[in-house]
Amino acid sequence: MSVRVLNPNAEVLNKSAALHMTINAAKGLQDVLKSNLGPKGTIKMLVGGSGDIKLTKDGNTLLKEMQIQNPTAIMIARTAVAQDDISGDGTTSTVIFIGELMKQSERCIDEGMHPRVLVDGFEIAKRATLQFLENFKTPVVMGDEADKEILKMVARTTLRTKLYEGLADQLTDIVVNSVLCIRKPEEAIDLFMVEIMHMRHNFDVDTRLVEGLVLDHGSRHPDMKRRAENCHILTCNVSLEYEKSEINAGFFYSNAEQREAMVTAERRSVDERVKKIIELKKKVCGDNDNFVIINQKGIDPPSLDLLAREGIVALRRAKRRNMERLVLACGGEAVNSVDDLTPESLGWAGLVYEHVLGEEKYTFVEQVRNPNSCTILIKGPNDHTIAQIKDAVRDGLRSVKNTIEDECVVLGAGAFEVAARQHLINEVKKTVQGRAQLGVEAFANALLVVPKTLAENAGLDTQDVIISLTSEHDKGNVVGLNLQDGEPIDPQLAGIFDNYSVKRQLINAGPVIASQLLLVDEVIRAGRNMRKPTA
Amino acid sequence: MVGMSMQPYGIQSMLKEGYRHLSGLDEAVIKNIEACKELSTITRTSLGPNGMNKMVINHLDKLFVTSDAGTIVNELEIQHPAAKLLVLAAKAQQEEIGDGANLVISFAGELLQNAEELIRMGLHPSEIISGYTKAINKTVEILEQLVESGSQTMDVRNKDEVISRMRAAVASKQFGQEEIICSLVADACIQVCPKNPTNFNVDNVRVAKLLGGGLHNSCIVRGMVMKSDAVGSIKRMEKAKVAVFAGGVDTNATETKGTVLIHSAEQLENYAKTEEAKVEELIKAVAESGAKVIVSGGSIGEMALHFCERYKIMVLKISSKFELRRFCRTAGAVAHLKLSRPSPDDLGYVDSISVEEIGGVTVTIARNEEGGNSISTVVLRGSTDSILDDLERAVDDGVNTYKAMCRDSRIVPGAAATEIELAQRLKEYANAEIGLDKYAISKYAESFEFVPKTLADNSGLNAMEIIAALYTGHGSGNAKLGIDLEEGACKDVSETKVWDLFATKLFALKYASDAACTVLRVDQIIMAKPAGGPRRDAAAAAGAGAEED
Repeated sequence: MSVRVLNPNAEVLNKSAALHMTINAAKGLQDVLKSNLGPKGTIKMLVGGSGDIKLTKDGNTLLKEMQIQNPTAIMIARTAVAQDDISGDGTTSTVIFIGELMKQSERCIDEGMHPRVLVDGFEIAKRATLQFLENFKTPVVMGDEADKEILKMVARTTLRTKLYEGLADQLTDIVVNSVLCIRKPEEAIDLFMVEIMHMRHNFDVDTRLVEGLVLDHGSRHPDMKRRAENCHILTCNVSLEYEKSEINAGFFYSNAEQREAMVTAERRSVDERVKKIIELKKKVCGDNDNFVIINQKGIDPPSLDLLAREGIVALRRAKRRNMERLVLACGGEAVNSVDDLTPESLGWAGLVYEHVLGEEKYTFVEQVRNPNSCTILIKGPNDHTIAQIKDAVRDGLRSVKNTIEDECVVLGAGAFEVAARQHLINEVKKTVQGRAQLGVEAFANALLVVPKTLAENAGLDTQDVIISLTSEHDKGNVVGLNLQDGEPIDPQLAGIFDNYSVKRQLINAGPVIASQLLLVDEVIRAGRNMRKPTA
Repeated sequence: MVGMSMQPYGIQSMLKEGYRHLSGLDEAVIKNIEACKELSTITRTSLGPNGMNKMVINHLDKLFVTSDAGTIVNELEIQHPAAKLLVLAAKAQQEEIGDGANLVISFAGELLQNAEELIRMGLHPSEIISGYTKAINKTVEILEQLVESGSQTMDVRNKDEVISRMRAAVASKQFGQEEIICSLVADACIQVCPKNPTNFNVDNVRVAKLLGGGLHNSCIVRGMVMKSDAVGSIKRMEKAKVAVFAGGVDTNATETKGTVLIHSAEQLENYAKTEEAKVEELIKAVAESGAKVIVSGGSIGEMALHFCERYKIMVLKISSKFELRRFCRTAGAVAHLKLSRPSPDDLGYVDSISVEEIGGVTVTIARNEEGGNSISTVVLRGSTDSILDDLERAVDDGVNTYKAMCRDSRIVPGAAATEIELAQRLKEYANAEIGLDKYAISKYAESFEFVPKTLADNSGLNAMEIIAALYTGHGSGNAKLGIDLEEGACKDVSETKVWDLFATKLFALKYASDAACTVLRVDQIIMAKPAGGPRRDAAAAAGAGAEED
């Protein structure tokens, strides 16, 4: 470089150096995430800047927390995060699939192949695999009555890769039931209608599904009931506190009586609103009934006092999203003004009670009639357990939702990958002309990374496993890997199913990003060192 | 641009500067185990009645002298992530039961130490985890069989029964003084125990620490003890009705800013008079309702105080909202927000309320011997602050144990009898097991031995002899054989009356195994750069300097 074209501090990587950097980065990232895959994967411990602990097996969480700097690794990580956004699962698979594609390409390139040819092969192979997936998937009918068994199997497959077995199996039922609970015919499933609440209490296996709602605050008055049965529930968004006027106003008075009058006048409008609610309470409540107000706005102490004297339980400053869920769970409607209160706008719950844990208060609204919203109450002895379960539950919910929407599933335990590979090698490769064949082959071999890694994490011999799996497939049996003993099993019998959309997204996104990376022949970073950011 | 072709390979190159990445058996698992072992060696010597005290000086230079593991690990500010997992487990135990934190840490440490041996033998951590999981499930099963028959039901108002269950927990903190403390705590708890004992609230037993005197001067007050003086000059009132105002005793003010409009000097004079009249009217109304004591949650105006004195009303100020609520419970009063005439139902009642001086501290004591009172206070006396703090922790443990027994009154033999029995039965179970789990289960069983070993060690006895004697006894069918630390021999616990609560033991063992398994499951650690780097280094350097002193 006799003539400097660039900023003297800029760093340039070109030709094979650039390619190797990207390949190395992809392989490095693969190495990190590899041990996460599958039910036998291990846990990573992430320690934050302030010493807080996070334990995770979820690729997505890991990528988010790791703060990767390498440009290639960032690109791959973004694809993986996109995978999570779209399908809620399969981040680890995406990363290791891309890594493996790069690894296979490296071999070919070292032998003198041009990346462009490989990329062409990838494209052909990708299309063929997607077509194969369409034939390979197992359709499930999701009519009005969803097939619970299939949903459970899918949820279990997902959850077991995130948590240990016993807990995963328990969460399976919770996750499936909660999705079925909020499912409405003819409408897309809105997973936000499942509230996820956590309590630091008892053990992780005490996690349960509450058909109703759990709010993370309690009533603010010492004399209100802690437990009420047969409750009419008023969901409202009405301010029950004195609000100062926007303009700068002041009172003028010249004796104490006048001031007293001002004090009462100030409160009158608020008191009137409270009285209207009390009237409604008196109208609807018999001797055994109770009345609960859940307000999105505030309720000030004097109003609370008035309500408490009438035996009304009042909760203030509820979250907006909970107002929506409350209406779905208890019925009735959310009112925005107390002027048009009718008994019809009230919801109903069999039991409302408060649970106190140290400083925190929780209010349970349970025994509702037709819940269209529910709460998954996560319990665990410490924050990292809770965070782990929370991530898993979210993925579990997504997998159930995906299944209902896809109306089909794919056989898991590596069965699909092995079958797709056989298809590519035996059928597709022959139809391709010229050197692109090698690209197809590289793609096919890269698919095997999933069963390989599963075996590796379970402490099995990778080669043995692959050979026994492929030979079974050659015989025409679709089999997956049994992680307990390393023998082939029928995933259908074992109940191991993956999401169709996850696999589709994986096959779509992986090769695209790999191709892009392969076609990079120059990396320029202006001004800063690529490895050591200038301190 | 020289080293460009030699791109570093692997994860480390991809992370931000300052991040650390540890992985694999040697780097992560073994290191983690070592850190946990260190932690458990610290707490272990504090286990049991003869446990040693620790002197911990925390970052605020506050001194703690205690053998309570919960406090020790809280103040130690553990940094190592794996050791922190144990601390979290101990905290969970502390929150859930309030006792047994030491057992959690020591047992988890022991489990991990044994796991290390297994790893060195060549077992994979996942096999150890599956073995340990099987073992804890079996342990729970056995533990349920060991429950003393007839202990499922108890009368939570019978002092003797309560004390028998509380003694071991209190004795492990204050050996030799457990009789006095147990009796105090049991009295206090029984007094405030609600109709349905499961609703027992720990908050209803208060502790007032007053310097001076000795433990023998400690007593129970059925009511509240507040470390404050009365506001006015009236310091004593008997059989009085009480009005409680949460918002303060003063003239009413508007939320919006008010201005007094005055045109002439006459008006100014009149204004002050109307003000006065208004306050007098209010105080008079209170006095007429029969209240002789006013308790205020906010400020008390000079003028209001003047009229209170005139109407012979005693005035108290309690600024803490929670304290005020407790007072309401003591007196059975309903708090009013504003100064107004209280209705007769809202008035509370106290037998006596008086300002007294104990050991140089002015305290206000409100007593209420009648029913309806739900607060009792243990007045602790001791010669130094740290002794008082330690006594308080013992009382807290006692109260928590009471709460636990209200929910689940089952007991198991204490004094290491349960542990040895568990160890023995688990070993049998391990022998029957086939496969690699066997090793992990038998190590799990062995881990229980640390309890008698530590108890004996801490008391200066020969641990090996004791354990051997215990095994012999248990082998011949005496499942209740424990250590008698005073005589240094093995004795049936039904004689020595050392019982542990089933719930405490169950939770402690479960939390410990959970924590140990979690530590074993981790094979990679990614650590971010600690926030605020240089400041921490300076603090550490200062800390190191302090240690040398």
